[in-house]
Amino acid sequence: MAFVLPKSELRRVIDELSKDYRVFRPVAKGSEFVFDEEGEPAMDYDTTILPPKKAFLPPEETMFTFKRETFHVEEVTDEKPVAVVGIHPCDLRALHLLDKVFTGEFVDPYYMRRRQSGFVVAINCVKPCEHGFCTSFDAGPGAKEGYDLLLTDLGDKYLVEVGSDRGKSFVDRLGLDSASSADVEKAKELVEEAARSMARRIDTHGLVELLRMRIEHQHWAELEARCLSCGLCNVVCPTCYCYNVVDKLDLGLNEGARIRTWDSCLLLEFAEVALGGNFRRERSARIRQRILHKLLHFVDQYGEFGCVGCGRCVKYCIKKIDPVEIVEVLRGGA
Amino acid sequence: MAKPKVAIFKFASCGGCQLQLLNIEDKLLDIIGAIDIVYFPMGKSENLEGPYDVGLVEGAITCAEEIERIKKVRASCRILVALGACACYGGIQSSRNWMPQRELEPKVYEHWEALSSTKCFGIDEYVPVDLHLHGCPVDREELLEVIKGLLMGTRAYLRPHSVCMECKLRENECLFLKGIPCMGPVARAGCGAVCPSNGAPCSACRGPANDANVESFVESLKEMGIPDEQIARMFRRDASTAKPFAKVVSMYG
Repeated sequence: MAFVLPKSELRRVIDELSKDYRVFRPVAKGSEFVFDEEGEPAMDYDTTILPPKKAFLPPEETMFTFKRETFHVEEVTDEKPVAVVGIHPCDLRALHLLDKVFTGEFVDPYYMRRRQSGFVVAINCVKPCEHGFCTSFDAGPGAKEGYDLLLTDLGDKYLVEVGSDRGKSFVDRLGLDSASSADVEKAKELVEEAARSMARRIDTHGLVELLRMRIEHQHWAELEARCLSCGLCNVVCPTCYCYNVVDKLDLGLNEGARIRTWDSCLLLEFAEVALGGNFRRERSARIRQRILHKLLHFVDQYGEFGCVGCGRCVKYCIKKIDPVEIVEVLRGGA
Repeated sequence: MAKPKVAIFKFASCGGCQLQLLNIEDKLLDIIGAIDIVYFPMGKSENLEGPYDVGLVEGAITCAEEIERIKKVRASCRILVALGACACYGGIQSSRNWMPQRELEPKVYEHWEALSSTKCFGIDEYVPVDLHLHGCPVDREELLEVIKGLLMGTRAYLRPHSVCMECKLRENECLFLKGIPCMGPVARAGCGAVCPSNGAPCSACRGPANDANVESFVESLKEMGIPDEQIARMFRRDASTAKPFAKVVSMYG
């Protein structure tokens, strides 16, 4: 089931969604892009600073408020559900991985509520970004599932594919024309062409077995000298999900709020426990943890790779520490 | 429980951190019921002698008289807090430490023979400090968190890692990647990345982050083409008494 949307009508999609949702879309910020609730959508963006997971797992959120003396607790819930327009296939796949973490064995009600009530308009990548390696994990440049609607840029219009009942009724509400088979074919070709021109790739063949044998490799120590342990790679990662929880009291010291914020396993204090004990005091142990969690432990736990190849970690890293390069070194090539 | 007695002291400094205290007066009023500010020469005219439960110290130690005084202050306070960059690391005046006194003093004073100026340090060069509140000036929110923590008997969460984390959370364009030497990657956070968020590079007024990799960072500065003397200046500015920064200054200064 496919339709077409003239590019001039994209605004109408956002306006229509805004009636029911807080609508995150990519907008320009200087020479970069960010997902924001305001501003003109820049659908041909390459990547955003923070991933769109922030719509479902905010960098900082209040879980509940409390009164200290009476132990009265009140849960905080969003007023409006969230919609994300213009999410790339890699970030879409990242949401699928976060779903495994947050809605699997242990359900996180805050994330789950937002996901269940949320609306996702994905857009296929017809132009590969500079740092991405999504084809390594079958995470792009075309989206396969997990969207309500999926757009592909056909020049003067978008091909609109429907991925859910909710998506279908929204298309009906917009009253879009059906796509021709030529439109569908053209979209397919554009995505295939983009996939062929992807220059970067992690060879995942036998990777899990290899990494198990590379836990003591000297390359981790080389990265220790290079890494600034700034935690930036965690912050921009669409699949990182660790968070810290703090209680904040008001000035009267009676009422307060329990707040969770994104955390980062590259930081020295991340694995610190009481009396200053620390399971990962060495920076090399922290870098290894991050890389192996994505490419080894996530596979052990969930049966899939925990990286989607969006390329943000290397793009924003001052030292250009690159998972593609790390795997090449560990394989003994390059 | 009796209200904790709080004292606020000033050493070599601009008064800006105390001003932050006055700036949160409206909020302080809410907790003023819980604390008694009994000594605060900059803020009130009636000031009582110690002992005090909590002492907030602004300023660096720069002469013999101050060494003597900070020791007395320490003895009079159950909990001692270093308030701001000067009290923590010596602050901007500590950049003079890298020049001999015999050259420095005549540059500033005509009659320098009578001076008893010493090298400039944060207060913990001389006395044990219970809590460091970084920044030039200190951040109001952090200041409030520390006051609340002291009242509750809990440890306030103060970000010990680098400024990059807070900067990225605010989705700022990275100044460093744009070729502007920014100290963010090695500087301690907690300020909310206020300078880079306003387009100005971080100057590391809060000193080094807890795991600052200055060697790797300096390598990147050199690759960027930053001359040695500028590298030394960047690390000398506010916190060159901190070991990781001192190392860079002595290598490139």
